[in-house]
Amino acid sequence: MERKKVAPGVYLTTLDAEKFNRCRITIHLRFPARRESATDAAVLPLVLERGYAGCPDMTALSRKLARLYGADLGVDLGNAGVDRVLTVDICGIKDRFALADENLTGEYAAIAFGIVFEPYLVDGLFDPEAVRIEKEALALRLDAEFNNKRLYCVRQARRKFYGSSPAGIELGGYKSDLPSVTPATLKAEYDRILALSSIDVMVQGADAARVEDLLLRKLENVTRSPRPFAPAMAMPVTDPRHYTEAIPGLTQAKLCMLFTRGTTEDLPSITVLRMAMGLFGGTTTSRLFRNVREKQSLCYYCGASALRATGVMMVDSGVEPGGEARAEEAILRELNDLCTKPITGDEMEDCRRSLLSSLDSLSDSLGGLESWYYGQIVRDEALAPPEYGKVLTQAVTADEVREVLQSYHYSVCYALTAKEEGGQA
Amino acid sequence: MRELQAIRQKAADAVNCQSVTLPSGLTVLCRTMPGYSSVHAMYATNFGSVVREFTLNGRRISLPAGTAHFLEHKMFESEQGDAFDLYARTGASANAFTGYDRTCYIFTSTRKTDENLNILLNMVGHPWFTEATIAKEQGIIGQEIKMYDDSPDWRLLNALFRCLYRAHPIRDDIAGTTQSIARLTPELLYACTDAFYRPGNMVLSVAGNITLDQAVEACRRNGLHDAAPQPEVAIHFPEETGELPSREATLTMPVNKPCFALGYREQPIAPGDIRSEILADLLPDLVCGGLTGLYRQLYDAALVNPEFSGDSLSADGCCVIAFTGESEEPRKVAAMVRQEIARLRRDGVDPELFTLVKNQMYGELLADMECVDDAAEEIGMAFLKGRTLAQEIETLAALTVEDANAAFQTMLLDDNCAYVQINPQE
Repeated sequence: MERKKVAPGVYLTTLDAEKFNRCRITIHLRFPARRESATDAAVLPLVLERGYAGCPDMTALSRKLARLYGADLGVDLGNAGVDRVLTVDICGIKDRFALADENLTGEYAAIAFGIVFEPYLVDGLFDPEAVRIEKEALALRLDAEFNNKRLYCVRQARRKFYGSSPAGIELGGYKSDLPSVTPATLKAEYDRILALSSIDVMVQGADAARVEDLLLRKLENVTRSPRPFAPAMAMPVTDPRHYTEAIPGLTQAKLCMLFTRGTTEDLPSITVLRMAMGLFGGTTTSRLFRNVREKQSLCYYCGASALRATGVMMVDSGVEPGGEARAEEAILRELNDLCTKPITGDEMEDCRRSLLSSLDSLSDSLGGLESWYYGQIVRDEALAPPEYGKVLTQAVTADEVREVLQSYHYSVCYALTAKEEGGQA
Repeated sequence: MRELQAIRQKAADAVNCQSVTLPSGLTVLCRTMPGYSSVHAMYATNFGSVVREFTLNGRRISLPAGTAHFLEHKMFESEQGDAFDLYARTGASANAFTGYDRTCYIFTSTRKTDENLNILLNMVGHPWFTEATIAKEQGIIGQEIKMYDDSPDWRLLNALFRCLYRAHPIRDDIAGTTQSIARLTPELLYACTDAFYRPGNMVLSVAGNITLDQAVEACRRNGLHDAAPQPEVAIHFPEETGELPSREATLTMPVNKPCFALGYREQPIAPGDIRSEILADLLPDLVCGGLTGLYRQLYDAALVNPEFSGDSLSADGCCVIAFTGESEEPRKVAAMVRQEIARLRRDGVDPELFTLVKNQMYGELLADMECVDDAAEEIGMAFLKGRTLAQEIETLAALTVEDANAAFQTMLLDDNCAYVQINPQE
């Protein structure tokens, strides 16, 4: 692994990928989220993925990728704490597997950098037709959220939890804002992202020197003033708030419980946080899986996860309609037991082994390795290989786990239920 | 010819895998992957949800819907305890899944491979069922059934299969219903394991940091190596001929937009008939895959979202090609798909599009081979279908646009077509 700064706020990281059939180039642009342009930011990846100046037509680009033996192109928007990350990645088979000895890796780089730095513009703005189509596509996606009840429940809970705080800005944008998205507003958001973002290019199995050269050439025409990463945040501690939404016809109730640390002081180490989630509800030996699912049969799924940078812990579960209160009580009891009663050595070691195994297997996938290193970049940490993560995991104690879990305060419970009665409690 | 030769060589390099069939009848497949830390193992049987009638040593047995899936859950339990607890001691991550024609037990680990293989082979090889443990599992599976009941995609496919098949068990949900699994008894479950969990009906496929010798040795340790008396087993499937039971169905669910499925009942594909299976996979991509004009037309008019797709499903005694998606105007989309099929049947497939779709499939196969989990599962699944991945690539390379054009004359026929729509609940 090698990471170097190639320009202000621009880094190139090269990762070993000798054993893989495929290679991968990923470009991350991390930038500050803004409520007023959240919907532009959500439409942008859809428009960018349609094509770029060198290949403006969506179907032509799909065919170009198919010609490259089905290379995968992804353009996505994600979260990094309160910031957003626009990611363009391309992954395809290595040159040595090409049936006609084509230079595939050169093509991959040209496409990925084309998407980021040379979008297809009409009179200096995004193509109005592409913008129209992708606004409609985003509207369909936003509507589709309701069809996946588990996802819908989690998102509704998050909306109540974050309210109007910066962490609550919708990643997928707002349907009500779609009419005001235009080729000009989209171009303005694109320019803002290019100017303010911290850019990380990750190269796996492709010629890094050529990628660097291409990157520097593309940057020549861009005016940039990269911003520092947004600091961590946490929602304030409140009394628990309960919300119930009745959906006639629902056969399995959903429950999403959110907890806040209430402070950004003493952020837990990511390693201790992973152990804590693993013990509470992240593995098949966790308390939630063993006790709430297996012993008490209160739910089919019941898992815990946490986001360090926004100080939130989440438990989501699918429960028998009418059993929401019992499931909530059981989940809180398990958390309380972990916080106040002994954690056995066996539990600690079972969880530790599971995490160590996951860390060992990171190097067996292009995506796994890339995520590991970019995760450290996102947290502003020095880059270290997964082996270092193993050393840290070996050292986590039950007291550290308990201390982390004790730092969370129950904040929001959102329930989807089939029952007719309901409303805010 | 030279191209085919080159493809054969590259295919062999890219998907190489060792295999041996033990005296017990168990087939062991291994793809050793130098430089990898993890091992993924899959122990699988050709027993899925569509097996509902069989004869075991002359005794005819009928199974309630959901039996294979129920069995999958129960296999993790033994008199000694839960297999998840044993895996926790080694740090492996374990799971299992049931399909229409198979049940698969898997683990991924980076250490203690021999111990993990022992757990896997032992838990599946030594089933343990009691009335009490069955009753407990019925509660958990009841919850799982309810979770799928809320999934529009799942409901859509089930309704489609009910339109296309009059008697074939694909009509029933893989997990069954709370009523059907209530009929299960230890005796029925033991009859299934006697018939289908015998070595000759199973495959152990492993990939990653492991050798074939290591896998074979694990089989020896767990009593799966030597020849043993085999029961006589015959599976019975109802024959599906004639008219479809129904051409259309409508459901209502709490969804925002209508969801639809346009499905075609095809001739069942015989085990080992790779060519027909690949053609069934290719045809939907030629009709409305991302490279086609129709997809572009539908997408640009906001008639479908990116999840709109066509897929094929083949299991014992049945084969379906289905186009599914969400749309404000589902009938219009279905009509456009049918028109495109008719056009392709009449005018033939664009040769360039055909080559590109083939290229994509080749790339996907290579991609699967670089992950230990996909590699182990793909080689195992291919075996259960009666072929190897190298054969798949060779067959793919040999397919011509004329083959696709011929397939359009006998597949995706209007007479075998049904339509299902889910409307938003008022």
